[in-house]
Amino acid sequence: MSEDDRVAVVADGEWTDDVDEEEGVVVNWFAKSGRRVTAGESICEVQVEKVSIDVPAPVDGELVEIVRAEDDEFTIGDTLAWVRPEG
Amino acid sequence: MIDRELTMSRAIVEAIGDEMRANDEVFYMGEDVADYGGIFDSTQGLLEEFGYDRIMDVPISETAYLGAAVGAAQQGMRPIAELMFVDFFGVAMDQIYNQMAKNTYMSGSGVSVPMVLTTAVGGTYSDAAQHSQALYGTFAHLPGMKVVVPSTAYDAKGLLHNAIRDDDPVVYMYHKRLMGLGWLPAPEGPKTPVPEEEYTIPFGKADVKREGADATVVTLGLHVHRALDAADALAEEGIDAEVIDLRTLVPLDRETVIGSVEKTGRLVVVDEDYRSFGLTGEIVSSVADEALASLDAVERVAMPDVPIPYARELETEVMPSTGDIEAAVRNVQ
Repeated sequence: MSEDDRVAVVADGEWTDDVDEEEGVVVNWFAKSGRRVTAGESICEVQVEKVSIDVPAPVDGELVEIVRAEDDEFTIGDTLAWVRPEG
Repeated sequence: MIDRELTMSRAIVEAIGDEMRANDEVFYMGEDVADYGGIFDSTQGLLEEFGYDRIMDVPISETAYLGAAVGAAQQGMRPIAELMFVDFFGVAMDQIYNQMAKNTYMSGSGVSVPMVLTTAVGGTYSDAAQHSQALYGTFAHLPGMKVVVPSTAYDAKGLLHNAIRDDDPVVYMYHKRLMGLGWLPAPEGPKTPVPEEEYTIPFGKADVKREGADATVVTLGLHVHRALDAADALAEEGIDAEVIDLRTLVPLDRETVIGSVEKTGRLVVVDEDYRSFGLTGEIVSSVADEALASLDAVERVAMPDVPIPYARELETEVMPSTGDIEAAVRNVQ
């Protein structure tokens, strides 16, 4: 399976309309690399402007790489992690 | 298979939600628990599923709503009532100490009081003397209440299931620093794998979080993690410390503590609550009662008998630290 088959977990969503800041921080990961995740399941908590937001898994599959660890900062739209979809 | 991990706050919410789904008599009441989701996220997301009838914001009168919870429990419901900070217990002392704790006894078992009083405890974040106390001993001292203090997400969920199903009053004290909040980051440790299905952890069973032969460190709550950090550092010096997490103060698992001291001969008790008339004295005297001949050396590490300071440097000074625990374990070698 090539790298291109992976799906990005992106720091984006409807919540971005409610915040003015572009930057946030990763607060908690609820999955470690290698774990099976289910589409829609909350796998990560981020904080923007002191508001906590849950980031869901985009597809069913395996969380293969965490790009932004806990306490790392990010900009809205950044890739936080990669999921390899179930084949 | 790699497990899902949860913060302690999410593990608590999951246990509450499971119990509310299983039993219509379970409901939650407290200040800022509905729309806000609990100021330490103890009820985050529950309002959306259960609505205002079962996740109830209350007026700022602890006497009124804790009394209401006692009455509802006596009538057969299973209320969970949250005291926002344990420090506020004083304004409802009669409802807690004389009604919740004693009504089963006073009525000759005519009524039982199957309620859970949840409350946030602990310092380390500059919230000063009226919002930083642990007060474990205050609640464990008076007969009639079970007292639970989880240190990890796994324990928090299993102990809370057990608390809600208990037919007698339970005080469930969660440490703010362990909840996993963005604005109050937890140390490494309290976020653990948590099964999605329900499970219970019985009361009165301490958990040996680390086995060791050279000293017995007895503690609970936040200081389980500080003791584990201390044990890791001491291991590099060749000192092998055992760390016992009491998990419940009432009932108290004296057997596990005494068994450990009979093995190590050395006892260090670590408590975030005040030093005098509290947990450290209770554990030391329990061991002295049952196993005095095994007890070669003893140390107490606790909050000195002073109001907890606001200034960060001063609070850090009085709060038992990892370094304080290391020094105490070295002292008993």
